[in-house]
Amino acid sequence: MPLLNLPDFTGDLLQDFAGRRTELVTIPVIQPADPFLDMAGEDLRRRIFTTESETGEALCLRPEFTIPVCMGHIEANSGTPRRYAYCGEVFRQRRSGASEFYQAGIEDLGDDDIAAADARAVSDALSIVAKLLPGSAFTVTLGDQTVFEAVLSALGLPDGWKRRLIGAFGDQAKLGALMNDLTKGAPDDEKDARSRPDLEDRAALEDRIAGIMEETGYSTNASRTPQDIAGRLIEKARLAQARLDGKAFAVLAEFLQIDIALADAPSALAGFADAAGLDLRPALAAFDHRVAALANQNADLSAMHYRAAFGRPLDYYTGLVFEISAADAVLAGGGRYDRMMTLLGASRSIPAVGFSLWLDRIGTLRGSRQ
Amino acid sequence: MTVTLALPSKGRMKDDAIALCARAGLTVTSVGNDRSYRGRVEERDDIEVAFLSASEIARELGSGGVDFGITGEDLVRETIADAERKIEICTRLGFGEADVVVAVPDIWLDVETMADLGDVAADFRHRHRRRLSIATKYWRLTREFFSAEHGIQLYRIVESLGATEGAPAAGQADIIVDITTTGSTLKANHLRVLNDGVILRSRACLVRSRSGGGAGASVDFIRQRFADAV
Repeated sequence: MPLLNLPDFTGDLLQDFAGRRTELVTIPVIQPADPFLDMAGEDLRRRIFTTESETGEALCLRPEFTIPVCMGHIEANSGTPRRYAYCGEVFRQRRSGASEFYQAGIEDLGDDDIAAADARAVSDALSIVAKLLPGSAFTVTLGDQTVFEAVLSALGLPDGWKRRLIGAFGDQAKLGALMNDLTKGAPDDEKDARSRPDLEDRAALEDRIAGIMEETGYSTNASRTPQDIAGRLIEKARLAQARLDGKAFAVLAEFLQIDIALADAPSALAGFADAAGLDLRPALAAFDHRVAALANQNADLSAMHYRAAFGRPLDYYTGLVFEISAADAVLAGGGRYDRMMTLLGASRSIPAVGFSLWLDRIGTLRGSRQ
Repeated sequence: MTVTLALPSKGRMKDDAIALCARAGLTVTSVGNDRSYRGRVEERDDIEVAFLSASEIARELGSGGVDFGITGEDLVRETIADAERKIEICTRLGFGEADVVVAVPDIWLDVETMADLGDVAADFRHRHRRRLSIATKYWRLTREFFSAEHGIQLYRIVESLGATEGAPAAGQADIIVDITTTGSTLKANHLRVLNDGVILRSRACLVRSRSGGGAGASVDFIRQRFADAV
């Protein structure tokens, strides 16, 4: 399949995709920039190639496939479940190295059997790279945000803290700094910087805020409501008195240290929950189902390990994340992003899991072995 | 070899810059009529003066189009990517004071710090089906401050080239990043600067472009005269 300078194994890869009951989709190279910026935040602008249409619409060269694949699905109003495959070039600005490279992958939308769909994404990715790099040893790292969230809930941490910690999950330095901050409580200047309104009577507080908004011309806009502000004000006042106590800190730190062969992870997690006196049952049951589903699909569990601190600090990732590497290079990355479809405008919640392969890195490894 | 000194072409900044030049012993006159965009320095044929808008001066310094310029540090840091490598701030001058700040509606009683704003931003999409939006003309400074310094990623910038303070009340954005000198415009628009929301305390500066010659008698002369005058 001599297509431009696509990697020489592209033909085999596409055939493999077809064999996995996927439909291959074509995604235009030029995309509207807003969905990517909305999803990843304004900082992404430094890393994508943007341009403008004649009418001023912000456009970019596609920096990845997942968002356009999902948007295509929503636009076409297609039913679920659906398995899409893609292959092509993506464009990202980097300080060094090439800024265009090839990716291919599968997005699995709308399969309600979460454990089976998760397991299929991992085992598809692993068997595809194994076929492209026969005889290589791979490391598969799995993480699970749901388990982390369950630990936070079981520790009884307040919602405000939970949201902050979840937002930093996967970013070890940020998470560590945040945990340290929480042991100290809120800084003094936050406690009495302003004369605090009466927080006991929530309705009166909301009325007062609404009144001031009315007077100052802020009542008509679509920004934060009096309810939002009053709610967070009350929550904040409560948090200002709270501290992350030593025991909870130790439990969290111990949890984040867990790094263990996947086959041993269910019993290790159960042991951890028991010892810490935490009820993690629903999250651990889902975790165990996924491990069982992987075994069912004859995936090679011995290559897999679970690292509790592994996550991606993007708010649309919800559960599983995974990475496959060989010789220190990440060859595939994926995860579950159940929140993305509704963020992109789907009218109902659609579970979604997928992965993408770094074809250039796979190509380099193939080349170095010949 | 001549060096080019760019001065602001209008307003208070122009008057202050020319007054400072005079204190530094550089008598600046316009070439031709008063409205001319070219000038010279009396008895220094090696110095050419270009009158440009303050933001153009920043751009020209970045590209090496002029050797020296007097302009606001805010514009230098905003306009020039990798500023440290491309320009050198020789002297901070005693005028053009303006702080680049993050300001929120005063009624956001719960938001006093950037950490508070981070919490609100993280939750915003879920509550309002869109990201927190920031009206500003300072794209680069905003991104560096929010993303790099405070780890806040989830926001969108709405470009605003004038009357930025009015954007939140008008519903065009939730908060702003803008310059303020006395704070009175912010106050009039019921906005409040966050406790740790000062991005940059900007002053007018004498700035040298690193892509020019750099050495030479004329360069040393300008650098020295302004350093002595402040």
